[in-house]
Order: sequence, then C-alpha cells, then structure tokens
Amino acid sequence: MSPESLQTSFTQSLAAMGGRAQGVPDLEAAVAYAVRLTHEMGGRTLAAPGWSQAELECIQVAGQEAGLQVFSQDLRAQADNIFCGFTPANWGVAQTGTLILDSLDEDLRLASMLSEVHVAVLPASRLRPNLASLQDELQGLLQRPRAYLALVTGPSRTGDIELILTMGAHGPRQVYALLLEEAA
Amino acid sequence: MRSTPADIKQYRAQLRRALENQFLRQTLSSFTTRNRQRRAESFAGLDFAALAAEVAGIKENAISRLPELYQQFKQAAEAGGAQVHLAADAAEANRIIADIAQKAGCQRVVKSKSMTSEEIFLNAHLEAQGLTVTETDLGEWIIQLRGEGPSHMIAPAIHLSRQEVAQLFSRVTGRGLDPQNVEGLVEVARRELRQAFLSADMGISGGNFCLADSGTVGIITNEGNARLVTTLPRVHVALVGLEKLVPDLPSALTILNLLVRNTGMTQAITSYVTWISGAVPCAVGPGGRKEMHVVFLDNGRLALSRDPVFKEALRCIRCGTCANVCPIYDKVGGHNYGHVYIGAIGLILTYFYHGRQNDRVLVQNCLNCQACKAACPAGIDLPRLIKKTAGLVMSQEPRRPAKNRLLSMVLKNRRLFHFLLRRAYLAQKPLARGDRLIRHLPFFFGREHGFRSLPVVARRPLRDRWPELARPETEPRLRVALFGGCLVDFVYPEQAEALLKLLRGRGVRLDYPPEQTCCGLPALMMGEEDTAREVAAQNLRALDPAQYDYVLTLCASCGSHLKENLPRLLEGESSLAMQARQLAAKVIDFSSFMVEVLGVEPAPAGSGAKAAYHAPCHLCRGLGVRQAPRDLLKAAGYDYRAYEEEEVCCGFGGSYSLEFPEMSAAILNSKLDNVAATGAELLVTDCPGCVLQLRGGLDQRRSPIQVLHMAEAAAAALAKPRA
Repeated sequence: MSPESLQTSFTQSLAAMGGRAQGVPDLEAAVAYAVRLTHEMGGRTLAAPGWSQAELECIQVAGQEAGLQVFSQDLRAQADNIFCGFTPANWGVAQTGTLILDSLDEDLRLASMLSEVHVAVLPASRLRPNLASLQDELQGLLQRPRAYLALVTGPSRTGDIELILTMGAHGPRQVYALLLEEAA
Repeated sequence: MRSTPADIKQYRAQLRRALENQFLRQTLSSFTTRNRQRRAESFAGLDFAALAAEVAGIKENAISRLPELYQQFKQAAEAGGAQVHLAADAAEANRIIADIAQKAGCQRVVKSKSMTSEEIFLNAHLEAQGLTVTETDLGEWIIQLRGEGPSHMIAPAIHLSRQEVAQLFSRVTGRGLDPQNVEGLVEVARRELRQAFLSADMGISGGNFCLADSGTVGIITNEGNARLVTTLPRVHVALVGLEKLVPDLPSALTILNLLVRNTGMTQAITSYVTWISGAVPCAVGPGGRKEMHVVFLDNGRLALSRDPVFKEALRCIRCGTCANVCPIYDKVGGHNYGHVYIGAIGLILTYFYHGRQNDRVLVQNCLNCQACKAACPAGIDLPRLIKKTAGLVMSQEPRRPAKNRLLSMVLKNRRLFHFLLRRAYLAQKPLARGDRLIRHLPFFFGREHGFRSLPVVARRPLRDRWPELARPETEPRLRVALFGGCLVDFVYPEQAEALLKLLRGRGVRLDYPPEQTCCGLPALMMGEEDTAREVAAQNLRALDPAQYDYVLTLCASCGSHLKENLPRLLEGESSLAMQARQLAAKVIDFSSFMVEVLGVEPAPAGSGAKAAYHAPCHLCRGLGVRQAPRDLLKAAGYDYRAYEEEEVCCGFGGSYSLEFPEMSAAILNSKLDNVAATGAELLVTDCPGCVLQLRGGLDQRRSPIQVLHMAEAAAAALAKPRA
C-alpha cells in the first residue's frame, strides 16, 4: 500500500469507529491543534506525558499561551482534572483505525484513559496495513519482562443497554489521531 | 449461590413464566434479531468456516498441552515480577484472592468483566470477608445492583430494557432519569464508577488470552473499564481459566479477529485490546510497581482437556453466539437457559463446573437444531456434546427414566416396534373422527400439548403398499434405495408415493429394503447411544450400500443422522465401520437428488401458487443443503415467497416437543407468524417431522395455509404422465 492509501484507509477506519484522523505538517501544528480543541471544548488542562524535554517545552509554551494548565508527570494527583490527553503513539493500523501505544509509562496510561479527549500523535510513516504486519514489533514489546501495550480504536463505547451504541463509557469520549506528514 | 431447578416440572414452570413475560420477550427478540443481522454484516466477504477451522486448530493444539503452556507462562510472568497461582477448584481460587487482599491490606475492589469470577461466585466470597466489591462493566454493574447474575456472556444485562435500567439508576442516584436518554444513563455509570476506580486498592480482571511465551494477559473491552481496573489500584489480580492459554500473540490475534466479529458488534476490533506482562510501573504500588497476580483456575479443566470427547468444550472463547442464535434462548433469555454459563455451551459446562444437579433438566432443553454449531467460531459440535452430557447425567441417575427403557426395548426390536405402530392406527381411529388430524388430544396429553393437532397413523404403512406401488425400471441408469424413516413409512406414505410419481420415466430403480427400521436418531436424542448403535447395525444389515448409487431420504433428520452420526456410532465395530462410511457417502436428500442428480427441467406451466419455504434444521445445517430446495420450488412453477427466518427451527425437535411443549409452541408460533406474513398459500418443507409440527400448528390456528412435503409440491407440477 502506498503511504497515501494507508493514510486514507486509516482515516476511514478510525472514522467508522467514531474517531478522527487528521494530517498535520509537524509537531508544532499538532500541539496547536490539541490546544485549540481543548480551548474550544471548554477544557482547562492538558496532560502531556511521554514527550522529550524539548517537545514538552513547545507544548507548555503553546498551552500556557492559551491559558491551559499543562501536566507531564505525577498524573495520579490530577486524576479527576485531565481534560485532554496529548500523547505520542507508536503505530497506526490502517485496516482497523487502531492506535498502538506502548503504555508501560503509567502517566501515559493515565492520560489516555482518564481524559475526556485523547489526542495521539504519530508520524504518518508509522502506519501499517494490518495488525498481522506489526506482529514482530508487538511481540518484541511483549517479550520485555514488563509490558503494558494498548491497542486503542476510537473512543470508549458501550452497547450494554439494549445494544444501543453509546460513546464515552469509562474512557475518552473523543479520540483524535494526528498524523505527522513531515519527511521522515 | 445460584441453583437451577433439578426437577422438570419446576423448570417448566419457570420457562412458562418467562414465556409469559412480554417485556422480556420483546427485549430479547429485538436483541437477537439485531444481532443476527449485524453478525451477517460482520462476515460479509469472509469465509467463516475457514476462519473457524483455524481457531479450532489453535485451541485444539493449546488444549493438548495446557500443563506445558502453564509452566511457560509462569516462568515468563514471574521473570517480570508477577506472581502466578494455580487454583485446583473454586474454593481455592476464592481463598487465594481473599488472601492476596488481606496480605496487601486491601479494602475496596473494582472489577472488570470476568465470567470466571462468576463461575466461582467470587464477589460473594470477597464480600463475606468484609471487602467492598464494585463491578465496573456497565452491564455487570447493572446486574450487581439488581442482585442478579449475568444473562449473557458478553451482554450481561441484555434481558433488561432501558426503562428498567432508568428505574434502577433513578433509585441509585436519587433523582428521576429519562429512559429515552440512554447516553444520560451511561453518564450516570461513568460518573459514579469513576470514584470507585479512584478509591480502589485492588483491581480484579478476567483475561481473554494468556500468552505462554511472554507471560502476557490480554484483555478486550469496549468501555475501557479493564484499563482503569488494571491501572489505578495498587494490586491487580487477573483471574483466568486454564483454557485461556495460547502459545503466543499471533495465535491470540487470530482468535481475537473471529471473537469480535462473531459477537455481532459490527466492529473489526474492540475499542481496547490491552496486553499486560509482569509487574508494571504503579506510583502507589510497593517500590513503584504494581503488585501483580495471575490466578489460573483449573476447576475440572485439566481433566476435561484429557477427555477425548469433552475436551472440545474447552475451545470455547466466550463469544456468547451460541445463545444469540438459539431459538430457545430467543424466547426465554439466559436466566432461564443456563446456570452461570448460559446458552448451548452452558448446557455442557454446567455439568462439569457446577455439578449434575444444576444441569439435570437444563441439559434436556435442546432442540438439536444445530444453529449454535453452525455459528461457533471454534467449531464446537455443541448439540452433540449436549446429548453426550445428557447421557452422562442419566448414567448417574439411580435408574434410567421409564421412557428411555421403553424406547430402547422397543426400538431394538423392529417387529415389535412396527407392530405397535400398526396398533396405534386402531387406537387413535376413534379420536380422528375420519379426519387425517387429531384436533382434540385425549386427556392423557396435558392441555399444553394442544398447540398442534397430531397426525393419524396411516391405515397401511408404506412398507405394505410398496409391492403395488413400485414399478421395476427395466434398464435403470441409477439404482437407488429409499430410506423411509418412521414418519414417511407409517404416517405420511403419500410423500413416498409422490416421489415414485416423480421418478417415473426418469431411469431410476427405487428399492425399499423391507427390513429397514428407525434410523436411531430418537434414541441418540434421549442419550441412548447403545440403542442408536444397535439399530444402526440393523439398518446396515437391511440395506447394503454397495448395491446402490444413492440412498435417498425424504426426511432431513434421518438423512443427516445417517450421514453424520452413523459412521461415528459404528467406528469401533470393525465389520460395519466401512459399510457405515459407504452409506454416509451415498445418502442424499430429495431436493438435491432431483436438482443435482436428475437435473429436472423447469415445469412448462406451474400453478404459480404463492409458496413459502421452511428450511429443516437437519437439511440446511445438518446436510448443508440450501440452494436445491429453493431451485426446485421455482422449477416447479411456484411463486416463491422468501422470508427472513426461513432457517430458524420450527420447534419440533422430535421428543423435545413432548418434553417441553410450551417452548415448542412458542417457537412454532414465531415460525407460523413469519410464514403468514409472506401471504403464502402453501408452506413447503422437506422433512416429515417439520410437516407434522407445521401442519398441526396451522390446523390449530384454523389457517388456510397448506403444508406440503417438497416431494408432494414437486410432483404436482413435475411428474411425467404415465407412459
């Protein structure tokens, strides 16, 4: 599959599961997207674990400019105060619209679980056609003595009342995948 | 602790109450209908049988080496700092988990969905130790608040309507909630349970997969509650059955794909699939790590894995589909169709995990319609195992039921059996008042049997008429034996006469080997395997398959029994095993014979009558014949009126309709409503058992719709005039 068709397919699959994928030129644009989204939805906080120091500074500056509180660690202390979880993702699966997050880091887990909105960022070059094509990579991660590997496909949902599909059960109500289109 | 009636009268009373509960009926029916459609969509363009065979292979292999996979898992998980336990039975599993809680000083437990914890009644045990336990899956929370067990493996509260949920949540929150606002109801759970997550010190999850090579527990959810259960509290206990062990991730991903699609969720994957190995970082845990435990439950599984027949039950991946497609579940729901595990697999597992008393009458509640078998993602022959389980239950009763002893004695002696059938004609003659149907059943049938009129046994059975009917074909191109079956022979000989008319001038020599007897299926259905084997042998002595090109049946049940069960029944009998396989290979149903072997041409002018079709379970699923009957109906010039649930059982199931008349009636009524809605004048089917049920039901409704066997319907248009 060509990079373009992978991206199209990923976008469609994620949309079918109630999430949204969006291409962005670089991390700066991704940060701006998350900040704007949070602001528009009336959120006041951004939890951004899993980033390098330089990336975090960029996130903090943009967040503070918009009047958002930015947390990057000790997220347990903020457990009921996380509006937007802004995290990196490792891979995307085009066939199902799945985001794969190596979530061994507890703060990264909390940001992606407790937030109202989860914005995940990954290079478009890390999209793969299907889960089978990622088998070796995933097995590699699981072979470490400790692992918490999350496959996330769209927002949290339930059909437990009369099979009526309802979004936003215990996890994020909305999921965005921002695909970095910059040259690898 | 739950208990399921061990007495048939009590159980039938429970079923009657369920059938009268219109609220439940409606909720269930909308669930199963929607589920059926969604499941079909999920598999559009995919080869279900091939995928199921792949899953069956993976599970079969894993089941054959559970002890080895367990050791491998334990080693890998412990290398990552997890503690792995093996509990021999429910009591030990409960004790292990309560000890973990006590040693770690835990007070508040949050749980994500685990059928295994239901199996051992874990909540009750932990609560008795003074722990607070909160279920966090929405459906599980609902039933926990109601003090019920799950009525479905993946949709535990599917027996409830939104109104009932709104009432319950109004009570919990102390404010009135709008039942039409389902999102609002879900929001209540999100808000209330978030606090439980944040304050819990122990999380208990189940597990869908245990990867032996990496010591990983894999959990699927849509709600995301298992992620919170496994992350927020400082202690995590995963409770899993030993059969969840698979060698590695690729095996698990293959199963995952089919598991999710089969549930009818219209998703290719659940919102979350979580894989956890070892003691992961946890800020509030000892040394910054989670206290991680994996508790494997044996509770009879290792013994099952060594049983040549029942090990198949361990392939179950808990998708719940055997309930979704079951016509009995569709009418009464899981609380009346299982103990803890519900649906077809529940009828089997209850015996092994919860004992004979809880399965004693439950295991009899199966039509053998094969709908579950056809939909099982792990290729489990559920109806067969259910009958085998019934046999086990019976073998432990102080004595076999009188009806079983009587049936066995009579069936083994063909002359006696046929003598009694002939006598039946005389006995019922006064009841029929010259009619072919008995509308008012004699007193010894209870009122609950009155939902269908019963046919009168023929004055002269087919075997007596045969010498006059059969015309020897001088130069036959095909030599065919007719296997009549009891109903065609003694009740509906006209169906065979229609066949003879149709074969006229088509170069077929049709024999009726006179020593043939009952096919033996009724014995097998009552758990009398030895009797079934004995009559199978008698039939093989009466009908030598080597002398024929085909063995033709007008009865789908006899046909599928001869094809599928005979070789299995006789595989240990060296002298007959080969012959049984030969017979099985030559068995053919009426429609396939007409369409595929004889290649009948469409009738120049059919009647154009509006005809609906009922697909017999043992034809469409048992023999896998779907197209030929519909083609034949059209070739015979009928205006074929299709409807949605053509392949759903008519509720006959042989002796089932006598054991569970209320169930049989309810299932029949749905069928007849569907047929009536097509506007058909005729209802055509190709099994005399279905004819009996459908005709009897329509007669009680005083419906003008006429029921015909396919042979009769075809003969009307396709028989060649006498030369």
